Amino acid sequence: MIALIVVVALVAIVGFCLWGFNTLRRKSINVDEGYAQIEVQLTRRADLIPQLVETVKGYASHEKTVLEELTRARAAVSQAKSSHEISQTASADGQLDRALVNVNAVAEKYPDLKASANFLALQEELTATENKVAFARQYYNESVRQLNTAISTMPTMLFVGIAGVEKREFYEVPDAAQRQAPDVDLS
Amino acid sequence: MSVDFRAQQSKNQRKTFFLLSVMFVLVGIAVWAVGNLFGFGGTMMVPIAVGISLIGVWTSYWKSDSLVLKMTHAQIIDHETAPALFNVVDEVRIAAGLPMPTVAIVVDSAPNAFATGRNPDHAVIAFTTGILDIMDRDQLQGVAAHEMAHVANRDTLVTAVAATTAGILAIVADMGVRMAFFSRRENNNPMAMIVSLVILALAPLAAALLKAAVSRKRESLADATAVQFTRNPAGLRRALEALDSDHTVVKERSTAVAHVWIESPLDGRTKDLFQTHPPMAERIATLRAMEGGIEPGAMS
Repeated sequence: MIALIVVVALVAIVGFCLWGFNTLRRKSINVDEGYAQIEVQLTRRADLIPQLVETVKGYASHEKTVLEELTRARAAVSQAKSSHEISQTASADGQLDRALVNVNAVAEKYPDLKASANFLALQEELTATENKVAFARQYYNESVRQLNTAISTMPTMLFVGIAGVEKREFYEVPDAAQRQAPDVDLS
Repeated sequence: MSVDFRAQQSKNQRKTFFLLSVMFVLVGIAVWAVGNLFGFGGTMMVPIAVGISLIGVWTSYWKSDSLVLKMTHAQIIDHETAPALFNVVDEVRIAAGLPMPTVAIVVDSAPNAFATGRNPDHAVIAFTTGILDIMDRDQLQGVAAHEMAHVANRDTLVTAVAATTAGILAIVADMGVRMAFFSRRENNNPMAMIVSLVILALAPLAAALLKAAVSRKRESLADATAVQFTRNPAGLRRALEALDSDHTVVKERSTAVAHVWIESPLDGRTKDLFQTHPPMAERIATLRAMEGGIEPGAMS
């Protein structure tokens, strides 16, 4: 009888440890997958740039600054990809965002460009990749939130050491527009 | 008042769990009634009923992706043939963190959409040509998110469990009532006999009501989960409004696939308690309440 109780207790303890270990590991893998998804979608977005540059050149070849900005943003994305640094990826992400916003602003001045079949087809892909990057960020941050909560709450926090997982940083795109918000003078 | 989609999700999950538990208890009561009427020998019909129901429901559950595609004559599409639709589905599946499902189009002027498949790896999401005609990108994204939510919440599985339990009850009740007419078993408690018969006679009705209630909870849950994916309740809300104001219904009116559509194709044919979907006005109101609580693009 006592032997039975000991066996049951041992099975329960081993089961509990396996559960805690796997829960943390799974959440950690989710974060890795979420980050990989951001990189994939960001690269796809950047890969639209050569086509976009060609299309815009056909109608507005003298808009050099905007076109160069696009090319630089693309280079930044591929550079960030090889570094695997979240902060660098996020800043390349923001640079790409701004470059594409500027292209759209320029396109407003060229009705022929806006109406061209190439540009219209590109518009759908640009919208889609923008949403995909945004949703990939959202999924990543949600995964980070879940992992960080599990790491700092009971009972999963008991297994942080053996599972070898650590808290991750959130993915925040540096938003130039927000930082340049006008100062309000209250004096 | 703003409503949080997480609160909506846990409320609907809790209610599903409760409803399914009631169905299991109901099976227990029906087995007791059978035992009371025909003794232990009579309960032998229960494993038979379980077997029939399991085979019937689970073969169609396992093959649900190919079966429903065949029944609705859906055409599978890819990024080449329908880029915008494919992109919209790709977006929401990234938000859900799930593999890309099979995307299909059903040629039907009635605006509607459905999701099926035994698990996220075998998921199918289909849209009618009618829904593609009337909806803008945001609305379509809301609909795609609602369907992706069904996949994420494993609703084909939940529906299969409810259908199996309802099937068991229907078969047990049917066999029990038939046997009661032909058997002449002596029982010194006529009151218990009558109660047992009444239970068996009403069990299938109760099971059908519970099954419909489970389906309604899964629809509300899918609406809330869709908001979790897109953080844009307005898109789905406007989509539902468009569906609500449209009065064409899908030609495939079979009850067998009715529960899979986003808007019930059997509207108006059945009374409230048997509806597989919550009233449109209620779904729209809940989404509108969620709009107050979410800033576009806000992370939590």
